[in-house]
This record gives sequence, structure tokens and C-alpha cells, in this order.
Amino acid sequence: MSPEKKITVKKQAYTVNDELADEIRFLMKEKKKLFFNIMGSVGAGKTLLLENLAQRLSKYHRIFVINGDIATTIDSDRIAQHGVKTVQINTGGGCHLNANLIHKELNKINLDNYDIFFAENVGNLICPAAWDIGAQLNVVVVSITEGEYVIKKHPIIFKNAEIAIINKCDLDGLGFDSDILVEDASKIKSSMKIIRTSAKTGTGVEELIAALGIKVPKGEEYA
Amino acid sequence: MHEYSLASAIVEQVKDIVQQNNANKVKKINVTAGPYEMVIPDLLKDAYGIITSELEKFKGSTLELEILPAKINCLECEYTGEPDKEGDQEFAFNFKCPHCGSRDTHLKIQYLTIETVDLEIPDEVTSA
Ligand SMILES: Nc1nc2c(ncn2[C@@H]2O[C@H](COP(=O)(O)OP(=O)(O)OP(=O)(O)O)[C@@H](O)[C@H]2O)c(=O)[nH]1
Ligand SMILES: [Mg+2]
Ligand SMILES: [Zn+2]
Repeated sequence: MSPEKKITVKKQAYTVNDELADEIRFLMKEKKKLFFNIMGSVGAGKTLLLENLAQRLSKYHRIFVINGDIATTIDSDRIAQHGVKTVQINTGGGCHLNANLIHKELNKINLDNYDIFFAENVGNLICPAAWDIGAQLNVVVVSITEGEYVIKKHPIIFKNAEIAIINKCDLDGLGFDSDILVEDASKIKSSMKIIRTSAKTGTGVEELIAALGIKVPKGEEYA
Repeated sequence: MHEYSLASAIVEQVKDIVQQNNANKVKKINVTAGPYEMVIPDLLKDAYGIITSELEKFKGSTLELEILPAKINCLECEYTGEPDKEGDQEFAFNFKCPHCGSRDTHLKIQYLTIETVDLEIPDEVTSA
């Protein structure tokens, strides 16, 4: 019988992702670009919020939006209607974006042609939480129609975010309640910026723009 | 379902280890991860089985994932260690501080880590 040997390895199985994510963050910072990761549940309103942002910001900033989806280009087509550049990444069954996918897309373009980058992550409150994509700020979107337990059931993704958006607040009081979600989000993280929005009416979008640290020219705020 | 890419990453690293040690066969791989890394042991095992089914040196090998105890760092009282043993009745994951009861804690990342690999080494190599 052949001898056996136990090798002690003690090595991360998957270092590439975080190294690449740090590289992306460093590059964006060096070039003075902003890069945001928009995560959230399926149908929470990520795309409609990005449409709102594109509509308000495309006058002042050159914007590039990366849409992650299992398949189809529906979301990137929707956002592209608002005068910003978009690209759809199809993860082909993958449940989250990762730094490698982002890196590949960014390599195809000249970063100098843009000021602000958004990634719409795959609709999912579980997996994107564990995958750094190199953004400077991580945003989670949930909507009040998902029920009052949505944050209690998926707290980890909120731990890994700086901004929590409670969307579809135009339906607040109509059988849905935003207060519970706001309270839960604040229990998870005291430093969390929590913003109530309606991507349908545009309420809260300006507050979101401010929270992201995006400047618009004085006096021209959303004219 | 990111277990497939994680399993591939493990196999790629172990292939290198096999080569460095001139091993015949992989017997067992032990990996660990923290509870907040969202790795599901059974899915990881299944993915490993699929990936290695065609690899001669991995035939019959097993992959064991141990989920490590959670570690938190309380932002209220500066406690560091495992979360409240009582658990958390309210949230699906427990990251509550056992000292002050706050959930305002920092979660310690414990990445999926290859701990040990058991290899079968041919006689010539060990005696050489
Ligand atoms: N009433 C209301 N409906 C909204 C709001 N935001 C989004 N919706 C609707 O909710 C549905 C889903 O919105 P999307 O923007 O596609 O959501 P998403 O998060 O991008 O969805 P996926 O990319 O599929 O995960 C659409 O029918 C939107 O019109 C809102 O604030 N209020
Ligand atoms: Mg969408
Ligand atoms: Zn504490």
C-alpha cells in the first residue's frame, strides 16, 4: 500500500475575487470615479430606481450601468432609454455578480469616458452578500410588498451594505407598512443610511442621490 | 448556487498541491468556512463530485466542509467572540452581542479555506 501524507494547506480557496475587487476599487478611486453596487430582491425595483437615477443624472454625468441577470437584456434596454450607456452581463444561471465579471466588462471600455458606474446585481438577497464586486458603496433595495419579514429573513446582505432602500413606498398604508422594514434595517446596523423611496413616483430619489455622494450643479437640482 | 465555482477553485488549488507532492491520488480534502459565507455543505459536495468525476487522481476522494462558529465584533461594547448562545428569535442569522444585546456588530469574514489535503504518495517519492 502506498504511503499517505496529510498536507496542511491553510489557504483561502478563493482569493481571486477579493483581490480583483480591491483592484477595481483602487482603480476607481485613483481615477476619481464612483462605483455603486445595487443589490436587492427580485422585483424590488432596482431597475426602475436606476431609470430614475439615469433620468436625473445623465444631464450632468457620464454614466455606465452594468446589469447582471441570469439571461435577457430587458433591464439594460430599459435603462438605456434614459441616455446612459448600459451593458448586460448574463450570468447564465449564476446568482450574483462577481469581481471577475465586472473586471471583464470594465476592460472592454475606456473608464475615462465615464464618471459614475452602477452595477445592478442579480435579484437575490442571499448570494450577492458574500461577493465583493469592488464598489465603493453597497446598496440593498427591498420593497414593502415583499412583506414585513424580508429583512429579518435576510439580514446578512444588510450587514454588508451602507445604504438600505425601502422601495414602493407609494403603496405605504395600502396594506403594506414601511415602518417595520425601516426599524429592522436600523437594528442590523446603526450606521445604515435608510431611505424610503418610490421608484414609481420618484419620491426619495433625490435623497438617494445625496446619500451616494453624487453632486449636481447648484441651482439645477432636478429642474 | 455559487458552490460550483467554489468547488472548482478548490480543485484547481488541490491539483497544484498534488503536483508539488508528486502524489498519486487525493484521498480527502478538509475545508472550513464561516457561517456568513453562505456556503451550503451538501451543494459543495455535489459540485465537487461532478467536477472530479472525470479526474483520475481525484477518484474516490471526499470533500468535507466544516462550518466554523460565527465571530462578531460588537460596535456598542467592543466584545469580540461568538454571538449570543441564546440565539436570535427575531432575525434569521444570529449576530447579537452576548454582553450588551446589540445587533450592531461587525461580522468577521471567515472565507472558505482549504485546511488539509490527504494524499497518497507513491513509494519511490517518499523513499527518494
Ligand atoms: N408601485 C410601485 N411599483 C414599483 C416601484 N418600483 C418598481 N415597481 C414595479 O415593480 C416591478 C419590478 O420592478 P423592477 O425595477 O423591474 O425591479 P428589479 O428589482 O429590477 O427586478 P429584477 O431585476 O427582476 O430583480 C415593475 O413592475 C415596476 O414597475 C415602486 O416604487 N412602486
Ligand atoms: Mg432589474
Ligand atoms: Zn456588545
